[in-house]
Amino acid sequence: MLPAAHWQHPNRAIQTEQYKESVCGVGVVPLSIFQTFEELETMNKKVISLLLALALFASFIAGCAPVNTTSAPASSGGETVTLEFTQWWEPELPEGSFRALMDEFEAQNPGIQVELVSGPYATTKEQVVAGAAAGTMSDVVGLDGAWVSDFVKQGSLASLTDLMAEAGYDDSELAAQIQLGGATYMIPVVNFVYPVFVNLDLMEKAGIAAPPTTRSEFADAAQKLTDPANNVSGWILPLSLEQPNGIQNDVMSWVWASGGSMMKEGQPDLTNDAVRSVAEFIKGLYDAGAIAPGAFSLREQDKVEEFTNGRVGMMVSSLAHINMIRERNPELNFAITALPAADGYEGKRGLPYASWGIGVAANSPHPAEAWKLVQFLMSAEVNSKLSSIANAFPGNVNSTPDFVQTDELFAAAFEVFQAGYLANEFVGLPVAENLMRLFDEQFQLYLDGSQSLDDALANAQAAWLENFQE
Amino acid sequence: MNSRFSKSTQTHLARLGVLLALLLGALFAGFPVLWMVASSFKSNTEIFAYPPRLIAESFSAGAYLAVFTNAEKVRFFLNSYLVSGMVTLLTLLVGILGGYSFSRYTFFFKKPLNMLIIGVQAVPPITLLIPYFSLIVGLKLHNSYLALILTYMVFTLSYAIIMMTGYFNTLPRELDEAVMIDGGSSFVALWSVLVPISLPGIVSVGIYTFMLAWNEFLFALTLTKTTDMRTVPVGIQLLMGQHSYEWNEMMAMSVLGSLPVLLLFLFFQRYFIAGMTAGSVKG
Amino acid sequence: MHARAPETAGQRPRQAFSNVQGLLSPAPQPVFQACFPSEKTALSTNHSQATTFQKLPALRKKLVPFAYLSPTLLLLAMLSLLPIAMVFFYSLQDNVIMNKTPQWVGFENYSKILGDSVFQQALLNTLYFTGMSVLFHLLLGLAFALLLNTRLIGPLPKALFRMVYILPWVFTATIIAILWRLLLNPNGVLNYLLLWTGLVSDKIEWLSSRQLALHTVTFINIWAGYPFYMVSLLAGLQGIPDELYEAGRIDGANGRQLFRFITLPQLTPIIVSLAMLDFIWTMQQFTLIWMTTGGGPIRATEMLSTFTYKLAFSSYEFSLASTSAFVILLLSMGVAWFYVRKQRASDE
Repeated sequence: MLPAAHWQHPNRAIQTEQYKESVCGVGVVPLSIFQTFEELETMNKKVISLLLALALFASFIAGCAPVNTTSAPASSGGETVTLEFTQWWEPELPEGSFRALMDEFEAQNPGIQVELVSGPYATTKEQVVAGAAAGTMSDVVGLDGAWVSDFVKQGSLASLTDLMAEAGYDDSELAAQIQLGGATYMIPVVNFVYPVFVNLDLMEKAGIAAPPTTRSEFADAAQKLTDPANNVSGWILPLSLEQPNGIQNDVMSWVWASGGSMMKEGQPDLTNDAVRSVAEFIKGLYDAGAIAPGAFSLREQDKVEEFTNGRVGMMVSSLAHINMIRERNPELNFAITALPAADGYEGKRGLPYASWGIGVAANSPHPAEAWKLVQFLMSAEVNSKLSSIANAFPGNVNSTPDFVQTDELFAAAFEVFQAGYLANEFVGLPVAENLMRLFDEQFQLYLDGSQSLDDALANAQAAWLENFQE
Repeated sequence: MNSRFSKSTQTHLARLGVLLALLLGALFAGFPVLWMVASSFKSNTEIFAYPPRLIAESFSAGAYLAVFTNAEKVRFFLNSYLVSGMVTLLTLLVGILGGYSFSRYTFFFKKPLNMLIIGVQAVPPITLLIPYFSLIVGLKLHNSYLALILTYMVFTLSYAIIMMTGYFNTLPRELDEAVMIDGGSSFVALWSVLVPISLPGIVSVGIYTFMLAWNEFLFALTLTKTTDMRTVPVGIQLLMGQHSYEWNEMMAMSVLGSLPVLLLFLFFQRYFIAGMTAGSVKG
Repeated sequence: MHARAPETAGQRPRQAFSNVQGLLSPAPQPVFQACFPSEKTALSTNHSQATTFQKLPALRKKLVPFAYLSPTLLLLAMLSLLPIAMVFFYSLQDNVIMNKTPQWVGFENYSKILGDSVFQQALLNTLYFTGMSVLFHLLLGLAFALLLNTRLIGPLPKALFRMVYILPWVFTATIIAILWRLLLNPNGVLNYLLLWTGLVSDKIEWLSSRQLALHTVTFINIWAGYPFYMVSLLAGLQGIPDELYEAGRIDGANGRQLFRFITLPQLTPIIVSLAMLDFIWTMQQFTLIWMTTGGGPIRATEMLSTFTYKLAFSSYEFSLASTSAFVILLLSMGVAWFYVRKQRASDE
């Protein structure tokens, strides 16, 4: 059972009443059937007793189930508040480590308990949408930048700007805030930067002295690395339409790394030279056979296995993979470097990233407590801890994860991180995932040779505009 | 003498042909599964090694250990057993009653009701997700076994009723009549005569029901909330991370997950195969 | 004595009836009709003097089938009709869930969906996918059932083969998709074997080639679904009385003729039920396609199910998604209608 306080919220009350009616409506029917039957032959008595047994059994299960599902006492003193926190982080982190952080929070905030609702990343979005629609969205939710705009449109997220003001929170520590219409709805808790991973042994074998820093060096290296006889490809590009985030991390990231943009004044601008040059650059690699086979159905999770097995010379990938690769193939000799920029570009480089963002439900009955949890996770000390266990960069400017001092590769990544700026133009766009997919389809047609670059970009632009007009 | 010899040669040849065909079929059916089992004993990296090997250097049961030593994952299995078991029992019970009704009676709205029962399974579950979830929340069943059991019953009942109607249709009506003449009701006729005869059909429907309930993912995830209520498919999906998958553990978990269905099949096999006999003799 | 009277009364007309039937035709179907009048006679004899009660038992009688169906109807009414009705309701509005005050638009969404070129492509793909799946499920299921039904092989190896043959059936769709992705990976075992045997000279991109992807996912679905048919048909084969085959042999029929004129007709009722269920289930197959290709490359494997999913959870167009879902429902109901008609015909 949910704590009593939950039911006082108007939204929930309406929901309950609405369904109570429907339940009762159905409930009356069978009763009258039973009465008619009582005059019937003995068989019907048996049917009834069977049904009753079933109903009894059902209520037995129903009665049992909630016992082991709740940890919250039903507000005996009216003091204890249980926050529900839906996220996909717990299964991604070392076992028990995220719960330990929550225990720490509970110890610091007597009277607040946190119930973690953990699901797989791939389906978190559906769960949040369904929860919001049913009025049972968790108080605190883990967010991806690509979802924010849609949740705000659905009216399911609370303005964190207001919550910060109420709590008198100084937001100068926050590295980033995702704002829509002037209010903050998501705060990136930790960030996974996407640098280039290079296989040093393959580089040496191909006679390449240093990791590429420009696009032409990259193209050159990719072609030299490609060695079909030994089953090695220069680069790997995941373009799966199931998870179209390859467009964000592996395609558009090239645009941002050279200071370019796919947007103009809040509207899509896919036909500009920055996007065009990247598309041509990738097409060049594709036609030269330097991209690993199967690109059109590859996902991030496949990409990293190909690299780990030494079949790919270079990949753009999440920092989260450093430890994974080490664990899975300790012998692999690899390094990381910044995403190469267009030849002659001297400015700061945009770094693609993905965040574990956090937000508060608009209909949370405990917004103040929910904010306390957000604030806890964003505090310098806790944020350092969390980024350490997640192998990510912190969302608090004053946090430093341990690995930056102790680990060479992460130190290198941190340098890349500090020299550039975080860039991900998909964050906060409406139907962001759909935009990636729409671009992906046109891009695949272009790589495939089925349409020209002009058509691909024009079609993608038209498809995007359609989604912006609504 | 000569003809008998050639006949036995023919039989031998036929036997060889059938055996060969069976082996080919077994390769088609079994090889992917063999590969799954092999992968569950490999390291994550070796799963992607080229050239691929069936038995890897790092042969290890670590993935299975990881499942067995994790209380949470063991709990997923217990939940799945409980839910699938209950769904199977209840579906059979309700499905037998429904099938009997469709098989033995003509009544108002029989055709529309038949269409309805088929129709409820024709809507893609993903679009039902939101209204259905709201309903379950409204009924205060969210995060309970009952929610899962009732939901899977909705999915499996159509199948059970359609198949049970078929099985009962093949049994001659004289069987029920004989009971009723002796003063028994139609209910007695159903349970004391029809059900025992069609037990094999019932077993086959039961196994399939169990399997559907055991393997369902979307609603298992949506209708439960806490880790202690999750089922095996959700557990498998939890190994599919944002950045990487635990391939070997996923394979190990699904191999383990397939065992109960296989054991059920093995246990009921004789019954099952002989039994559908009754169900399939169309009158 | 009083209790026996109606029975005897009931028995007489039935016997007479079935005797007549026996003379006219050997078919056992009319037993049902024979049974009904007998009960009626029994009841009316019982209450012959109390005409006022005559209507009540008739009403009760009409309610009996509903009593048996009541748990089913209760469950479906409670948990299924309402959500389906809501999906229909959604499909008539401009945008639900994302929009707090949705507007009524009637059937506008339907013309929008039906006119969408991606939907049309998805419909064609789905029909190919479903048609091929149902066909090959049946062919493979039947072939394997016949193989497993052979008397040429001992019961133990047969039992072993049965276990192997149902293997594809016991895994959740997610894992089937992941497994086949591994097998069909450009660096996967299938390509390795094909290269090794020299059947192909280049690695084949089974899932990421526009020409192959649709056939590949169809193949995976065929692999995953045939045991459903195989098991049911195997059981069906066991049920065909030997006398029929003996009679056929006496008439000089060869193996092919026995199959054509005895086996196949005997299995037809089962095949019809299986095919109907399979059609409806395959029309909605989502996980397998989503987890292997996501509907790609480009739109090569776009199905109604993936199209609907993307509308709902990628574009957040829940009304359009509901519309698309309802179109799938209507298509399935078309098939169900033929089934119900055929059912009724075989009842009578």
